[in-house]
Amino acid sequence: MAGFDSLVLQEQRHLKWRALDPLENVLMILCGVCITAFSVLVLGDVITRAIGRPWLWVQEATMTFFMYGIFIGVGAATRRNDHLYLAVLAESMSGNKRLFFEFFNRLVVLAVAGCMIYYGYLNFLDGFKSLRMPSMTPIATLYAAIPISGVLVALFTIEQMVNGWHHGFADPAGIPEEKRQGL
Amino acid sequence: MTSNGMLIVLMGFMFLFLGYMGVPVAFALIGSVLLVTAFTPISQASMIAQIFNGMDVEALMAVPFFLLVGDLMTSANVTARMIRLSQTLVGHLRGGLAQVVTIFSMFFAGISGSSAADVAVLSRSIAPEMSREGYDRAFSAALIASAATMANLIPPSIMAVVYGATGNVSIGGLFLAGVVPGVVVGIGLMIYSHFFGPIGLKRQRATFGQFSTAAKESAIPLMIPIIIMGGILTGQFTPTEAGIIAVAYIVFIAIPILNIRHLPHLPRDMAMTGLLYSIPLITIGAASAFGWMLAYLRGPAVVSDWIAHAAGGDPTKIMLLLTLLFVVIGDFIDAIPAIIIFMPLIIDLTKNADINQVHMGAVIITTLAFGLITPPYGLCLLMASKFVGVKFSRAMLASLPIYVVFFVAIAFTIFFPEVVLWLPKQLLPQSVGCFRAPDGPGWICP
Repeated sequence: MAGFDSLVLQEQRHLKWRALDPLENVLMILCGVCITAFSVLVLGDVITRAIGRPWLWVQEATMTFFMYGIFIGVGAATRRNDHLYLAVLAESMSGNKRLFFEFFNRLVVLAVAGCMIYYGYLNFLDGFKSLRMPSMTPIATLYAAIPISGVLVALFTIEQMVNGWHHGFADPAGIPEEKRQGL
Repeated sequence: MTSNGMLIVLMGFMFLFLGYMGVPVAFALIGSVLLVTAFTPISQASMIAQIFNGMDVEALMAVPFFLLVGDLMTSANVTARMIRLSQTLVGHLRGGLAQVVTIFSMFFAGISGSSAADVAVLSRSIAPEMSREGYDRAFSAALIASAATMANLIPPSIMAVVYGATGNVSIGGLFLAGVVPGVVVGIGLMIYSHFFGPIGLKRQRATFGQFSTAAKESAIPLMIPIIIMGGILTGQFTPTEAGIIAVAYIVFIAIPILNIRHLPHLPRDMAMTGLLYSIPLITIGAASAFGWMLAYLRGPAVVSDWIAHAAGGDPTKIMLLLTLLFVVIGDFIDAIPAIIIFMPLIIDLTKNADINQVHMGAVIITTLAFGLITPPYGLCLLMASKFVGVKFSRAMLASLPIYVVFFVAIAFTIFFPEVVLWLPKQLLPQSVGCFRAPDGPGWICP
């Protein structure tokens, strides 16, 4: 795994526990595995159709990797702070004002993650009633990605809240000059 | 106001409030939907399932492939060859580097569907050189951001994939209809840079030998648009399949020939792109749930009635009003969630006014591409100002005159449907509603 150490983002180190670095690493590897797997499967689908021997199960397998890739990526993006934002007002603030904004935002994310876990689990249970063709696997295997993603998002959000509370949310190294000018 | 109206206002307000507080877009969308769902008979579990269903669309699988194409090309430094080709073509003109930015963006748009990738490449490669030549950084950021929007117009375009997948419109037709507005924006930017931009260093015109060497070096990456569009137009591939064929071409042909030392880095590229595609796609899923709830509350039907009433059923007026609406929407919301959230409204108006679906798609996509450089949420301009190292407000001021180029492109797209739809009619007639003549080889188009 040493070759993959660089996949852990070193920015905002003060908001991260070293103990969770291997998890971020594994999630990044899984992101790569998912996109590689569904790329290979779609390519295989094109080739096997072209030679007149289509794989019937490929659509199902492709969609599985595609969906798991998204939900695993959402977890990893939460730890790396890589999501799409409308505004990053908090980054230009300091002191208690910043603490309030950063905490509030993460509380909202935590609440949504909680909903993903609870309602995602209900969907997972409900998914045993429907089967995916042609393998006849319960669709619950696909729906399981939602609560799993919810757990990852909640874990990384709690990590940031606890570390932010202890060390503050502002990067001790300061915002890089080019980023500061861009804000 | 009806209770439905109040719920729509609450949902919209919550989304914008949370989004501008700094909650990630996907979570702001999900949070506002779940809150409003509590006041309806719909269960929260079904809304979570709706997020899932919003992403469970085969055509959306093209998105990671078009991102991967751009990322692999950038990461393997293959794009440097295309920059050299652009320099031999227009580097000698007044404002040479500014012209290179536009020409390169047109080439790159034909390879990647992502404006963000284009901004990243240009900001790191050409922007420092522009600063050394005395170009104002704010001008550089504004021009790079504006040129990058062409990635959403010239095929393959991720916006077109999302529009086609959610609105059930031919993605191939949308790709082709995006060419004209894309070229209008490109030509407009070149004219603007020539007459109103900085002069830059005076360079000698490249010799034919230099040009042919640069063209030869770029031939392999420039095959990608031909592979993508050729496969789609001949009916061999769907856009998703064309995307993976382009990825395979880069991995098995382009990188081994052009930069073989990059091969060991491929696993890392795959991991990064695996992360990258999840971000817009979870936003698509969340926006799909938001759009579903909006439709359930009859929001699109009400707005559609207002617009149809104000326009008196005139298709051109309807498109103008929709453009106005999307200019405002594009100022506040990212293009992809905007397309999905407002798709029921677009479909309603397109059907009622008997507007060609592909033409409407081209108008909406051009308008939303403009939204990528307008404040407060102009994603391309935000990225370009950050990478180039200039205040967003300064980059925004520098981009104001460039808005004229986009107004012209949008107006052209609305008022000249024959020109915009000419390519789809020639190459993919069924995509724009043409059907085979019963007594001859030709096509009959509405």
